[in-house]
Amino acid sequence: MRRSRVLVHVLLALGALGMVAPFIWQFLTSLKTLHHATQVPPTLAPDWRWQNYAQIFDLIPFGQQFLNTVLMTGARAIGQVLFCSMAAYAFARLRFPGRTFIFGIFLSVLMVPPQLFIIPQYEIIARLGWLNSLPALIVPGLFSAFGTFLLRQFFLGLPVELDEAARLDGANPLRIWWSIMLPLARPGLVALGILTTIWSWNDFFWPLVVNNDPEKMTLSAGLASLQGQFMTDYPVLMAGSLLASLPVIAVFVVMQRQFVQGIAFTGTKG
Amino acid sequence: MAWIGRRAGALLGVAALMMATAACGGGDTGNDDPNAKVTLSYAVWDKNQVPAMQQLATAFTAENPNITIDVQLTPWETYWTKMKAAATGGAAPDVFWMNGPNYQLYATNGVLAPLDEKIAADKVDLSSYPQALIDLYTVEGKHYGLPKDFDTVGLWYNKELFDAAGVGYPDATWTWDTFKQAAAKLTDKSKGQYAIGANLSSAQEYQYNTIFQAGGSVISADGKKAGYADPATIEGLKFWTDLIKDGYSPDLKTMTDTVPLNLFESGKTAMYYGGSWNVAEFTANEYTKTRVAAAPLPKGVKSATVIHGLVNVVSAKSAHPDAAWKFVKFLGGRTAAEQLGKSGVIPAYNGTQAGWAAAHPELNLQAAFLDQVPNAVAYPISRNTAAWQELETTYLTPAWNQQKDVAAAATELAKAMDESLAKE
Amino acid sequence: MSVSSQEAGAAVKAAAPARTSKSKGRRAEAAWGYALVAPTGIGLLVFYLWPVLQTAYLSFTKTGPFGGAAEWIGLENYREMFSDPEVGTALLNTVEYTVLGLVGVPIAVVFAALLSRPGLRGVAIYRTFFFLPVVTTPVAVAMIWKWLYNGDFGIINYLLSLVGIEGPHWIADPATALYAMVVVGIWMGLGYNLVIFIAGIQSIPKHYYEAASLDGAGPIAQFFRITVPLLSPTIFFISVISVIGSLQLFDLVYVLMGGSSQSSRANPAFPSTETIVYLFYAKAFQTNDKGYGAAIAMLLLVIIVVLTAVQFRLQKKWVTYA
Repeated sequence: MRRSRVLVHVLLALGALGMVAPFIWQFLTSLKTLHHATQVPPTLAPDWRWQNYAQIFDLIPFGQQFLNTVLMTGARAIGQVLFCSMAAYAFARLRFPGRTFIFGIFLSVLMVPPQLFIIPQYEIIARLGWLNSLPALIVPGLFSAFGTFLLRQFFLGLPVELDEAARLDGANPLRIWWSIMLPLARPGLVALGILTTIWSWNDFFWPLVVNNDPEKMTLSAGLASLQGQFMTDYPVLMAGSLLASLPVIAVFVVMQRQFVQGIAFTGTKG
Repeated sequence: MAWIGRRAGALLGVAALMMATAACGGGDTGNDDPNAKVTLSYAVWDKNQVPAMQQLATAFTAENPNITIDVQLTPWETYWTKMKAAATGGAAPDVFWMNGPNYQLYATNGVLAPLDEKIAADKVDLSSYPQALIDLYTVEGKHYGLPKDFDTVGLWYNKELFDAAGVGYPDATWTWDTFKQAAAKLTDKSKGQYAIGANLSSAQEYQYNTIFQAGGSVISADGKKAGYADPATIEGLKFWTDLIKDGYSPDLKTMTDTVPLNLFESGKTAMYYGGSWNVAEFTANEYTKTRVAAAPLPKGVKSATVIHGLVNVVSAKSAHPDAAWKFVKFLGGRTAAEQLGKSGVIPAYNGTQAGWAAAHPELNLQAAFLDQVPNAVAYPISRNTAAWQELETTYLTPAWNQQKDVAAAATELAKAMDESLAKE
Repeated sequence: MSVSSQEAGAAVKAAAPARTSKSKGRRAEAAWGYALVAPTGIGLLVFYLWPVLQTAYLSFTKTGPFGGAAEWIGLENYREMFSDPEVGTALLNTVEYTVLGLVGVPIAVVFAALLSRPGLRGVAIYRTFFFLPVVTTPVAVAMIWKWLYNGDFGIINYLLSLVGIEGPHWIADPATALYAMVVVGIWMGLGYNLVIFIAGIQSIPKHYYEAASLDGAGPIAQFFRITVPLLSPTIFFISVISVIGSLQLFDLVYVLMGGSSQSSRANPAFPSTETIVYLFYAKAFQTNDKGYGAAIAMLLLVIIVVLTAVQFRLQKKWVTYA
């Protein structure tokens, strides 16, 4: 029994090392000069070259791109939680003609890969004159069939008595949604919020396509623009990729429980 | 309860409003009043030149107080993707940098405003610029841009590595043979050091030069046929694949993982075929700034270097065509050229180039780049250059990777390129 | 507003049998229903449903290099697509990547089972480590691995050289690049799958394990006899998600192969790693051939539908629903 426990820890520790080691090497490299980083055999000791980090701010408008990413992520998460919970509540609790049909149409969106939306979405954005703007990043991401589906499942699992009572008291559905359903559905809303946050922060294709102006780019696209035909300065790239990932990692470490529950939730309900 | 409804309603209202205003957005048309306040967008891709562009914009606004310039930087990697999208949406910047390979595509599809009438009306003298540049940017007898700068290619070298190997610095007497003898001495595999990185993805700095030096061609003079089946052209390609085969250059995989520029900047390669625009890069980089200088490219059957340059163009859809032309004319003038020379690129205006070379006497720029202009061959282009440039890379990759004989790869490339040219 | 007339009509129909006060309440309820569904409904209609039809239409058209009116060319894009060897290669690469990527599922199941051992200490710490790559931007992940994989100066090849192996240029060598990409994909997705599997294992009733223990089954036997079968619906769910995600691989190819079209094409491994979505990007947004891009997107739709259907068909053979 004891031996098996040690074995479990050894396996898990090896796995965990495999997960963390790349980040450690990223950090160590980010503090070297290119000359030093390309030495064979490599050395562990960094040169403590913090200029690599300063250079990121020189190469791309990092602060602005960070802000763009935060605004995009925040707006999408809040928008989806609000809009999806509204629709989800209606699908779960209200009776209206065509409900099943409309819900079926929502579900059909889930089946289609995003590449089928992208070209026309891009053309809508272009026609609105929104290329290289914040709305281009945000607006199509405000609506989610997945979020509606997820929250509908959640609402269906809640007891009907509370909202029945409120309805008998003469409260209208908007009010029931806001002051009864939303508080009850907090775990579901948090789950959707977190999923949308991860998805938005990591989103690459859409921001890459709609915003090519460095001032309007998100961090993913900005980071990708650092490397190219004439640039594989790895220490600088490591500094940039570390800077770009730190914020979400920090949020994750603080809100770990919610992250894990949110994801587990989609696996069991979704 | 009511306030909740109001809030949700407001949200929808705002969304509707956003849609509505955006839809009406594109409608403000140009005002022809010459004294009206105007802001022109000016798109550029080289970060190193942004300060100089900014200075020129300020100088221009000082002369024309009603026109302000908004300099917009888009990195090279996405510049043309963005430009294509903007032009498709009719929203190209008022004024922007244009290069040879994209010029004809943009000019013949109505994206650029023709400038001939304005050139004639304002008596701009096109002979103030190198003839090769004017030729490069003349399509069907029309002009759509005024030259900004030009560039030629030279041999950048690391003095420290040359000294260590006991090899004399390159100069105008070097030929392909001298180069190869030096390459052997500059290669030391035990130290992971090579003579040069035989770059594949920058034809302008690499293959094109040796092709012209070998007496070959990339495309026929009328722009209808590929030159890659010509044995002389193949010789020019073989120059590079041989360097890889002989081990004087790292293999293509190494150059994929770490690009040749970074290999040179970390002392892994002793030489770098590079454009004159690298002055800014090499004088800023900590490692290279004390170690490098430049020389003319080694001579093959003949001396040759690729000349290319940029023009400033005006969008055909610009709301302020007159202001935009004023700015382009200013950028093409002598004052602007003198300013530009200090930023590290060779100004196109004749008579201002010496200032560029004098800014860094230690780099030997005059001999390496300016004195080579008489040998210069224009950058090869056609109507849809990008289409066959993609083919060049695709077909030559196996040859550079030593999987395929270079002659066979070049012959296949010639066939594919001919098909592409036939579609233009 | 079109919604109100629509809802009025619908409400009248619903209320037709009896005009009581109840029908009035029902009509109001229906109105609220439409109003609450409207924001997402209209958004999905404008940005998702209409675009699908639009893409289908575009795939039969051609536009000039700078747009302009789309010209109807019938099946020309599809004909070009089926005769383009690059499409075939990209398709094969994508399918190969997808199939190999499924290896990540059993790996996640094993680690989830290990982490679910009763009384194990340090679960939270392990979980944090495994989850780090999930919250790291894929572009950053790709950059880190590009450096690890560097053939000359990368740490992986250095470590291999210590045991006498000369490692390849992982992402520049056609023989290894796709596998190298699969490893990154699995590494990146492990934490996400892990969390879902742990939740799945936790919902397996404890008495199954207790009974098996009494029967003398060891941990490994328990894993195969209880954990795997009872977890199979979750395994199925994750496999479907993994396949759909892998078929849309883009970020890793974009960054690992070098970013711009020029640097990707100069990478000798590019022909063995280009995926269908990368090709879609290149055609639709770099070459600006929206019609051809739309045709590629339609092809992707067909592949996803077919592969998902196959998975649902196969699940009957191995998924146990308790």
